[in-house]
Amino acid sequence: MTALRADTFPEQAVRERARSGAAAVFPALSDYGAALLGEPVGPPPADALDAARLVPPVFMPLRLEKLIDLAREPLHGDVDLTTTVGGFTAHLPLYLSAFGSTSAVGTDLGRAAAAQAGALGIPMVVGENVVPVDGYNGERSLLARITAYADHAPDGAGGVVVQQSTEDADAEVWNRVYSDPATRPLLESGRLGFELKVGQGAKPGLGGLTVVDRAQADRLADRFALEPLVDPEGDRVLRCASPGTFTEEILRQQVRLMRNNYPRARVWVKLPPGRDVAAAADVAWQAGADAVTVDGAEGGSGWAPTASLAGVGLPLAECLRRIGSPRGCLLVSGRVWEGLRAVKCLAAGATATGLGRAALLAVDENPRSGLTRLVEAMTLELRLLISALGKYHPSTLSTEDLWSPAGWAVPTSPMAVAQV
Amino acid sequence: MDTTTPAPADPRAHLTSPATRAVLRVQHRVLDAVREHLGGQGFTEMLPPVIGPVTDPGARGAKQVDVDYYGHRYKLMTSAILYKQASLTAFDRIFCIAPNVRLEPLETSSTSRHLAEFHQIDVEVAGATRDDATRVAEDLVVHVVRRVVERCVPELEVLGRDPDAFTDLLSGRAFERRTHAAAVADLHETGHAQNPDAEIDWEGEALLSAKASRPFFLTDYPKGSRGFYDRENPAAPGRLLNFDLLAPEGYGELCSGSEREHEYAAIVARMRETGENPAKYAWYLKMVREGVPSSAGFGIGLERLVRFLCGLDAVWQASAFPKIPGVVSP
Repeated sequence: MTALRADTFPEQAVRERARSGAAAVFPALSDYGAALLGEPVGPPPADALDAARLVPPVFMPLRLEKLIDLAREPLHGDVDLTTTVGGFTAHLPLYLSAFGSTSAVGTDLGRAAAAQAGALGIPMVVGENVVPVDGYNGERSLLARITAYADHAPDGAGGVVVQQSTEDADAEVWNRVYSDPATRPLLESGRLGFELKVGQGAKPGLGGLTVVDRAQADRLADRFALEPLVDPEGDRVLRCASPGTFTEEILRQQVRLMRNNYPRARVWVKLPPGRDVAAAADVAWQAGADAVTVDGAEGGSGWAPTASLAGVGLPLAECLRRIGSPRGCLLVSGRVWEGLRAVKCLAAGATATGLGRAALLAVDENPRSGLTRLVEAMTLELRLLISALGKYHPSTLSTEDLWSPAGWAVPTSPMAVAQV
Repeated sequence: MDTTTPAPADPRAHLTSPATRAVLRVQHRVLDAVREHLGGQGFTEMLPPVIGPVTDPGARGAKQVDVDYYGHRYKLMTSAILYKQASLTAFDRIFCIAPNVRLEPLETSSTSRHLAEFHQIDVEVAGATRDDATRVAEDLVVHVVRRVVERCVPELEVLGRDPDAFTDLLSGRAFERRTHAAAVADLHETGHAQNPDAEIDWEGEALLSAKASRPFFLTDYPKGSRGFYDRENPAAPGRLLNFDLLAPEGYGELCSGSEREHEYAAIVARMRETGENPAKYAWYLKMVREGVPSSAGFGIGLERLVRFLCGLDAVWQASAFPKIPGVVSP
């Protein structure tokens, strides 16, 4: 455990799950037979997703189908969580979200998360700017994370997705990965993908930001903008990557070029929670993207201006509402760490949900098995909750499974949602 | 055609084999014929740079080679395109025999037609249209083939290459033209799953090429399949005013060319569409901003042309010191 903190995140609950695994899904065992339970009293819901409830029906025709199939009453263990996530077979409707070159991802955390995600058979995204900042080879490097993942992944499951920013393009990250003998097993087994990063949740409209020391800044000066105001008394500097310029045509053609240049790799597109997120997702899917990932404004593990964190970008719930019924594979992230929020996202249209900060905290709590235990708890919750809805595969979830005080229909006026 | 011809055992065995000697003599004749023909058409031969701060971003996933140039990251040239456009501020008609290095994806090691190090016969003409460029390319190829058939009889005999293979090419009939969309439809009819928004894949190209008895042009590639410098057709947005020349008999692509984007704003927008960072193209964009001529041009893969002329199983056989992608060799 390091000094890693996540003050705006249910950090202690995540750490508890990283220690206890599935046991943390229930109240403390010591309460059994002693405490009278009910809806927990806690802080008000943080957003519209938290405010929404899953609403199982009384009549369950899909449970009847399952009963006929099994010739016995179905149980939560009969929920099949295997899902095609952005072209990869995943054991669970989960993926490890991108965390890039931020120094919160220490030498061991990035590799520990990668190894456990590989063993769990869920895809992993490696964030932008890792190569220009940390290098291609070496302990903190891109290749170290990819190798840690591949060494632990079971045959036929999972996949590694590598982001490339404008500055990464100068370092030819995708060309390098695609041509590297070390990644060939992933490529040849159809488990390599590239993610075009159009933006991110924590700071929509801005590029990647990291704080580096003066020596590192000097080394990066020809490739990144540097902002010295961050630490006037010290020697630390803010390194700013460019956000990149996109129009419909630029996005469409970049996706097509990725498919042209890397025909054996999957193509993912990561969108910020922009007001036109639905239109952008459609452009990406129609250009052939295997997945569109959307980071809600509450997402993000990296450094960002407080103003961006406090008041820029659409919340994940609103992104899901605006996208409605997705044309392709929709992957979402934003304060997901347990099964309830994940199932709500799946019901609202997502194919899988990403673990970002939760995964980092989990491996920080226990580098050997923290993420595995966190996911073990989520897996049990996913099975319990999906079966409670009378369904036995995540793909059958829909907005009928959600209820919120404001309803879940796509609003006609964005103002209506702002009032939720 | 054998697609698994093994790499050469060692340079001595390769260079002293009668077949290699015959191939290299044909290559010499090809270069003679190129200079004879283009020189006679008023072209000036220029020597292209080997390194520069930026090079052709290319396509299909090939990695560039970095060179430490006094502390600055330079690149070995993957093609001469940027310098060809710039050179038109000196002469209206230029050509060069340009060495190129591309660290192609490892999957290309078995295509029989990729080398990590190769040469292009690069041609660029100021004020030219695509039709002008295809005419120059066609005339050049016909001239070169005619010269080889005339002057390399013993070499072709050593190689077992029947000169009658070129009868149709030398018949005087113009090379056929087909659009990319028509080629995609043709491939779909044969059951080949070709992505309509992308380059014709290698297998598809071989299928189209195998059906032909003389070279043919494929035109109007979709925008997402090529670099930013191929000009978009103003009358058909999303389609490029470009072309490939494919050899018959399954040998596939010999040449790529296009009318060029030459207006600053269009080039910057196209750079973004191809995921490029305009900042690293500073010298080129400065030239473009100050004005470069409109142009069209092409590059013919020298080793691929020689492979076709000699009827070789693999393109590496047309190189004295071949570099097959991923294979460590001198």
